[in-house]
Amino acid sequence: MLRFEALSARAWFLPYLVIQVLIGAGISVLFGFYVPRLTPELAAYLVTGAPALALIPVGLAALPGLTAGQKSAGSYEYLRSLPVPRLASVAATATFFTGLALPGAAAALFLSALRYDVALSLSPLLVPAVLLTSVTAASVGAAIGHGIGNPLLTNLLTNVLLFFVILYSPILFPESHYPDWLVQVNEWLPFTHMASVLRDALTDGLVTDVARSYAVLAAWAAAGLALAGVAVSRRG
Amino acid sequence: VTAAPVAQPLRAGAGFWLEGAGSMLRWHLTGLRLLLPVVVAVQLLMGIGFVFAIGLFAPELPPRSAFFAVTGPAVVTLLNVGLILGPQLIAQQRIDGTYDYVRALPVPRSAAAAAWYGVTVVVGLPAAAATLAVGAVHYDVGLVLSWRLLPALLLTTYTGAMIGYATAHAVAEPRVTIFVSQLLIFVLLGFAPVNFPPEQMPGWLAELNRAFPFLPMGTVVRDALDEGFTSSLLESYVVLTAWAGAATALAVVLLGRRR
Repeated sequence: MLRFEALSARAWFLPYLVIQVLIGAGISVLFGFYVPRLTPELAAYLVTGAPALALIPVGLAALPGLTAGQKSAGSYEYLRSLPVPRLASVAATATFFTGLALPGAAAALFLSALRYDVALSLSPLLVPAVLLTSVTAASVGAAIGHGIGNPLLTNLLTNVLLFFVILYSPILFPESHYPDWLVQVNEWLPFTHMASVLRDALTDGLVTDVARSYAVLAAWAAAGLALAGVAVSRRG
Repeated sequence: VTAAPVAQPLRAGAGFWLEGAGSMLRWHLTGLRLLLPVVVAVQLLMGIGFVFAIGLFAPELPPRSAFFAVTGPAVVTLLNVGLILGPQLIAQQRIDGTYDYVRALPVPRSAAAAAWYGVTVVVGLPAAAATLAVGAVHYDVGLVLSWRLLPALLLTTYTGAMIGYATAHAVAEPRVTIFVSQLLIFVLLGFAPVNFPPEQMPGWLAELNRAFPFLPMGTVVRDALDEGFTSSLLESYVVLTAWAGAATALAVVLLGRRR
């Protein structure tokens, strides 16, 4: 199934990669323009939030978008009928999209660090942080893509989610900028925690209580996969 | 027996043009009615949603930045329908195969374009007004309305609508059209000084924007809400009119192209 995903993606793969790198790097640059006076602390947040913002849309929006497209095109039922355990097929898609997200995230981090002249201190925790972020985003995306029948609704939901993630989740800016209730809401959602584990692996001292973030992310990843698993094994 | 010649209504003249534009306007609005809740939601998110978000990115905005945070998202709501939704609808027509049918309707090209402009105004203006009102209260920014607001809003909406219209008719591949429209919104929100003052971006990028339509759109709208906002009002109107004219010409030529 992994080969199947890779082969069916070869037409849109390259342009997609270019766009993802550009948008990943672009987002942290453009949000810098919104700030009248950029302090070194804010610059560090912008740079270390960039990889999270590059990773999240791939799993959360591109993956369910693909599933929605298969439902519109009618190939969804065909794929379900292939003699492959359905959860294996979900896992293959999620793995593929995780791999797809990595170059963009790396480029976003590298380019934005260059632009804001921020020194990073990479720790070995970066590997689990990146993997858990991508897997969680892809699991939640898979749950949305498989769980919702109407492709239009899927696209609407993922766009609204992306809007919330980009504008109203403390990812590129410190939590102190956001009202308390919004911070509380984000405590229970995965997005800010994705930024936290990545930021923790890229800097010294900007993030505390990262264990809780890992726990919340693991819970979302498990719940997303379980939901997606139930949705695909349902008989239609 | 020979049939008596049937009188054919004249397919020309102001009456025919107006009738065509009116029919197309009704056509668009009827076609959009299922999408309308989504369109309204998008308008509110892109307008009011951005107004609040800018304050989260930078608490304690200086007055000039706050003025941009109020007026910028209003400009964006004027452009959403023309620049984003329009091209995507036309791309969808190409995918569905209804594109040629719509082109074949007996309506003058300019009337069809005018009807689409009517749609962008009907959906854009209320959203812009709501965004301005909410923003002015949220940031405590005093707006001074002048008569220049009307031409500024109408020309901004028109230019956006025609750029989107020309793009959608110029590009045959629907996926490319959708990509271009997304690229435009990305530039509009991030790389043009619309939601934030030009001095917050690198000087060369701000200078570059003077030749493109987004900065002048912001300038003409802001000047109509704050007396003496700019000393380059004429330049902004000239640049904007040039873009509007070029996009209109391109759209009308493309619509009339035979294949």
